[in-house]
Amino acid sequence: ALEWNVSVWGKRRAFTEHVEKLAELVAEKTNGEFTMNVSYGGLSKNKENLDGISIGAFEMAQFCAGYHRDKNRTITVLELPFLGVDNLNEEVAVSHAVYQHPAVKDEMAQWNAKIIMTSPMPQYNIVGTGEPRDTLDKMKGMRVRATGGIGNAFEAIGAVPTSVTATEAYQAMESGVVDTVSFAQHAHLSFGTINKADWWTANLNPGTVNCPVVVNIDAYEALSPENREALDSSIDEAIAHYLANYGELLKKWDQILDEKGVQKVVIADEELAKFRKMAADPIREAWIVDMSAQGIPAQELYDLVMATLEKTRAGN
Amino acid sequence: MDSIEIGLWVTAGLLVMVLLGMRVAFAAGLAGLAGLIWIFWAKSGYAPDKFTKALVVSVKIAGQVPHSKVSSNALSLIPTFILIGYLAYYAGLTKALFEAAKRWIAWLPGGLAVSTVFATAGFAAVSGASVATAAVFARIAIPEMLKIGYDKRFAAGVVAAAGTLASMIPPSAILVIYAIIVEQDVGKLLLAGFIPGAFSALVYAVLIVGIAVVFRSVGPPVRGFTWRERLVSLPPALPIVFVIVIIIFFVYNPFGGDAWGTPTEGGALGAFVVFCMALWRGMRWTQLKLALLETAKLTAMIFAIIWGVLIYVRFLGFADLPGAFADWITSLHMSPMLILVCILLAYAVLGMFMDAIGMLLLTLPVVYPAVMALNGGEYVSAADATFGMSGPMCAIWFGILVVKMAEFCLITPPIGLNCFVVAGVRPDLSVQDVFRGVTPFFIADGVTIALLVAFPGIVLYLPSLAG
Amino acid sequence: MAGASSVLSDGSLLSRLDHALLKLERALALISGFAVFALMVLAVISVGGRNALNTPLPGYVDWIEQAMPLIAFMGISFVQRDGGHIRMDILIGQLRGRALWLFELISVILILILMLALVWGSWAHFLRSFDLSAPLWSRDSSIDIGLPIWPAKLLAPVAFSVLCLRLLLQIWGFGRAFVLGLENPVAVPLIQDSAAQAAHEAEQLEGRD
Ligand code: NA
Ligand code: NA
Repeated sequence: ALEWNVSVWGKRRAFTEHVEKLAELVAEKTNGEFTMNVSYGGLSKNKENLDGISIGAFEMAQFCAGYHRDKNRTITVLELPFLGVDNLNEEVAVSHAVYQHPAVKDEMAQWNAKIIMTSPMPQYNIVGTGEPRDTLDKMKGMRVRATGGIGNAFEAIGAVPTSVTATEAYQAMESGVVDTVSFAQHAHLSFGTINKADWWTANLNPGTVNCPVVVNIDAYEALSPENREALDSSIDEAIAHYLANYGELLKKWDQILDEKGVQKVVIADEELAKFRKMAADPIREAWIVDMSAQGIPAQELYDLVMATLEKTRAGN
Repeated sequence: MDSIEIGLWVTAGLLVMVLLGMRVAFAAGLAGLAGLIWIFWAKSGYAPDKFTKALVVSVKIAGQVPHSKVSSNALSLIPTFILIGYLAYYAGLTKALFEAAKRWIAWLPGGLAVSTVFATAGFAAVSGASVATAAVFARIAIPEMLKIGYDKRFAAGVVAAAGTLASMIPPSAILVIYAIIVEQDVGKLLLAGFIPGAFSALVYAVLIVGIAVVFRSVGPPVRGFTWRERLVSLPPALPIVFVIVIIIFFVYNPFGGDAWGTPTEGGALGAFVVFCMALWRGMRWTQLKLALLETAKLTAMIFAIIWGVLIYVRFLGFADLPGAFADWITSLHMSPMLILVCILLAYAVLGMFMDAIGMLLLTLPVVYPAVMALNGGEYVSAADATFGMSGPMCAIWFGILVVKMAEFCLITPPIGLNCFVVAGVRPDLSVQDVFRGVTPFFIADGVTIALLVAFPGIVLYLPSLAG
Repeated sequence: MAGASSVLSDGSLLSRLDHALLKLERALALISGFAVFALMVLAVISVGGRNALNTPLPGYVDWIEQAMPLIAFMGISFVQRDGGHIRMDILIGQLRGRALWLFELISVILILILMLALVWGSWAHFLRSFDLSAPLWSRDSSIDIGLPIWPAKLLAPVAFSVLCLRLLLQIWGFGRAFVLGLENPVAVPLIQDSAAQAAHEAEQLEGRD
């Protein structure tokens, strides 16, 4: 029998359902010959899961690109603001296309890692207290908890991105350290920021974070053909399970907003266009220049995202 | 051998090393490293050629821990709390507090002793270290008590016992360490310390008054302070109020508005207030340098234990020993309350021989998950919980109980450190004298702990206000 | 329980090396102390900036996380020099002469083994975050404002290496005491009994209130 250690963090939630499903499917398909022990924080700190994979401390792990941009420059393309990804299916499609790019594979191989799937996250819309901030003017001087590209975008329009970790977000909101918090819906629920909120932006869609699941290349290559087949063949199913589960959560989301009396703020198209023009374009251009200077095929990666997005939409 | 057996062997090895006198930080680190090697080698079936690989992986895992665990925003509270304590001496807060307490409450039976308890409790609000607090008050309070005819053993006992309050009343390094180990909200734990700390002081005071009423010779009251004398004694003690207000308001706003910031900011601002006060009272560069050096020393010592123990904890994570222990505890056919009491008693015994911080760090990784499991799990709601409180609230409650046990062990023989310190300051007192004088306070602490167990509301009132 | 203890000196090479290393250790500890002070100032700036000017210090948390290793590690060898790291000395405190030196010697050798492993492991941790071909040599960055993390990671192997030097001196010191059966060896921390230790502690606070 073979047991893999899997390092994730926090508690079991929508964000980890595909990993749990994968473990379940693999064990099923191999009659318990190949099992996965999913550890929530016992094996590593979340920011060091790539290090753990590189060391060989565990065989599988989840991480987010924004935690440490310099460890995974190539996939930060997926965290650029206002990419225009509208739903989780599109998020899966663009992520998996980017993961197949040789530059990404190369960079991950430096960590002895191979990405097997993404953890699709919806757009990081913001919750806030007080009057809704539904124009760029009202967002000036707004203290917002936002990281990575989304943080840069808010900075570009004169908001003040503020550094607090996800676990401190509620406290930061309560203490007025931030006025607004940018999260995926499940995180607004599990970190309690929804309980402090008066409003939520339904269509700001500023971007999202990208959190792949990786395996240690040596461990993967040492798998017997049956075990590897069991793993490979379970990935699509695990993602499908994740999407179905998250879909249920999103369905409940409206209901939760109602229950808590949180206003759904719709931002006017011209305001959104202004936001994109001020934030998305310059940040993307700066990213491409910066990454290209480091020898990363940045334009190619960005084009790949756009092409995949178009293809996915055409396919539907 | 399965990983749980490895976990038990390594834990036994760690205890032996600690008992034989190896420095706790390094004993824990070494046990963790050896355990990791063992687990990884066992995973490859003890193949001789795989040993090197197990060694390399383990060394690299262990080598991550110090930087990884130490670079934490919440842990930055520890050095700032330590610095507050050192600066407080220079700010002249000890004398100011004792004077104020004396003028206001020494008219009670056993009045000077009661004043000592409350002055110490006040000083505890700027000092994170019990031992230092006891040392300072031994020099200020004992002579005054002896002057008016107190029994010298009793006077020494009062100071040794009151000194323990510094670990409960924030700022408290022990509470921060607990919060970090069990991954709970530092701010709420600090808030939670205020009432039980004040409550302990009150229990001490009641005990002293009782003793003074029964044995008239123990401590005559001191009368004759005018209201003017009383009022002028207050301003020098004001920084204490500032620090308390800052710490409370940076965790939650009692007036219902926004809190003013995060606990880490609050701790640092508190240090800044005391620093300004110390400057004003004449602290100069040489003293500041000394304070910074002492802070660095104590900080390095505490952090060494933290990362050392966390290497051992990382090994426990791979061995899954805490999970197994929690399963075992919850499978016992005993009332959960009885199990909890047994755990607290075990701490009382362990505390007789061990340093408080070392004791908590070594035991909590295994004991804490078991207690949480006993209550119904980390995310249990109050309605479904064994002890009638939600997971996070149980974590706070247990933390305060454990810290109270850690305080208790500062005054119990044979290694009650506070008693040694008091005896060390006063050449006319032997350690046995102090232990004899402190005996009544065992009873006070026993009562306090029993009440905290029976009425968790004393602990949970403030943190529950903070949401 | 084992707080401060005393270290004796004489004119021997060992003792001179002890004092030379002590200078370095004290300097490192002082750096750590100043980092604590900086932490305090940083908080004042952060709270002040946020409340007075609505400009929170960008990356406040990132900076704290960077400063913590400086605070936590740099004093470690200074503490070991005086035997200040916590231990239970109930048993070891009963020993005298050769038996004591043997125990101390074994314990210090074990610590050296651990610390050599940790120098190696923490160096590897540093190397994973370090890339000469990348901008700012960074292959790992902080979450909020993208500070390179390698300088902070480098502090661990540096501080641990100094501790290894200290441990080598103590092995020499205890080893010499064991072989020669010395009464009061130089350059190693000697256990004080609890009363002397408490007196020492009280002395440190003398004149401070
Ligand atoms: Na305190
Ligand atoms: Na004790």
